[in-house]
Amino acid sequence: MALPRWTIAIAGPLVALIIAATPANADQHLTASSEFIQSLADRAINTLTADGQTPEMRRQEFRGLFREGFAINGIARFVLGRYWRGASEADRTEYMALFEDVIVNTWADRFSEYSGEKFEVQQAVNAPSAHKAENVAIVRSLFFSDPQTPVRIDWRVASRGDIYKITDVSVEGISMANTQRDEFSSVIRSNSGEISALLDILRKKRDG
Amino acid sequence: MPLLKRGSGRILGVALLAVALTACAGTPNDDPDAAADVEINDPLEIPNRFIFAFNVGLDQLVLQPAAVTYRDLMPDELKVPIGNLIANLFMPLSFLHSMLQGDFERAEMAASRFVASAPTLFLGNPFPDRAPVYEDAGQTLGVWGAGTGPYIMLPVLGPSNVRDTTGTIVDFFIDPLGIVAGSQATIGRGVGSAVLSREGNLEQVRDLQRNSVDYYAAVRSLYGQRRVAEIKNGSLEATQAAPTIGLELDFEPAPKQSSAATTQ
Repeated sequence: MALPRWTIAIAGPLVALIIAATPANADQHLTASSEFIQSLADRAINTLTADGQTPEMRRQEFRGLFREGFAINGIARFVLGRYWRGASEADRTEYMALFEDVIVNTWADRFSEYSGEKFEVQQAVNAPSAHKAENVAIVRSLFFSDPQTPVRIDWRVASRGDIYKITDVSVEGISMANTQRDEFSSVIRSNSGEISALLDILRKKRDG
Repeated sequence: MPLLKRGSGRILGVALLAVALTACAGTPNDDPDAAADVEINDPLEIPNRFIFAFNVGLDQLVLQPAAVTYRDLMPDELKVPIGNLIANLFMPLSFLHSMLQGDFERAEMAASRFVASAPTLFLGNPFPDRAPVYEDAGQTLGVWGAGTGPYIMLPVLGPSNVRDTTGTIVDFFIDPLGIVAGSQATIGRGVGSAVLSREGNLEQVRDLQRNSVDYYAAVRSLYGQRRVAEIKNGSLEATQAAPTIGLELDFEPAPKQSSAATTQ
């Protein structure tokens, strides 16, 4: 039995209206940010904690994930703070490369000590964005180094269209970007505002 | 509800804040790279670094060995009750400060943790069903709106600031444990919790010493951020750090950087 024509006449626009009114678009980036973190973490755990890897292999894999998942340039520049402006082009280039190398080495080696820890994404909330074109989400997660006392890790994820990047990681409320920035500016300040002392230390850390 | 509990201290807070802010007010700055610079309030940096070096030495000589000994020699079955006992002894103070902060939810958490453990207090509450909450006078002053004041490295006690040092002194007099059981009890609890938390942080501290570019500055930064997080009791707003990092430098796929392949 065919439906009366009037039902279609009403139902058609109604369906369209419901689809349009669904608030999916507004907070879509929250879901997508959570999924982004979960999948990045899964890949990191799978590839970096696998058996029989040399430190070099682990570092190479971590570098790939780090470049894909983190706003490295934005973070590196933020961490240098006001001293970015005074730095020469050569210093900036070297600094960017060193910053990435040192983080890659440190974190790839840390991953070698993990095995079988559980990681659980909990919720994502909107955070203020300094840029109109970008959404920012804070994705809250728990890392279970032991089952009783999970560590709270909050990921700040900025997104533009289909591009999602982590701009900061907070562990128990302590921001990695802020900590790194405080350290770097302390080194530079005690060297009368010259970035060279910091580059020296970073070079030693990379090679050490 | 959160607005209400924060609001109750606000009136007193505004008065304290006005005084405190004059000490640490920054000038507005148009430079985007400097905009997020939080001016580090450490006018005593030179003596602080000196005391820090002393504390690090003391840690290596006394606290770290004590923590390692505890980790290696204390039977695991006893570690849980000992940890719980020490946590429980903080609950009366946490209850008092939760009340002073107008945070009745956490006051209830502290009270029920303590009461539930009372029958087995010296067995250390073998089956805690409530997580401990930690509140102190420094946090209460923070909730009331007091600024931190300059950073202070206290001998033996470690990182602090003017607000939290004031809090430590206040707590020495108003801690219910001290009133009921005497100051030996609070000192004993303090020593115990120092060893236990050091035991919990053995790897993290070693990692930080090895990987930081300026250990003193790293500890100062961590202390300041941790206190902010503790005052906000882990609410998500507490973690809105680094909001100025956008994607404008990373919107395009990152160019291959030259030193990448040559890294050891």
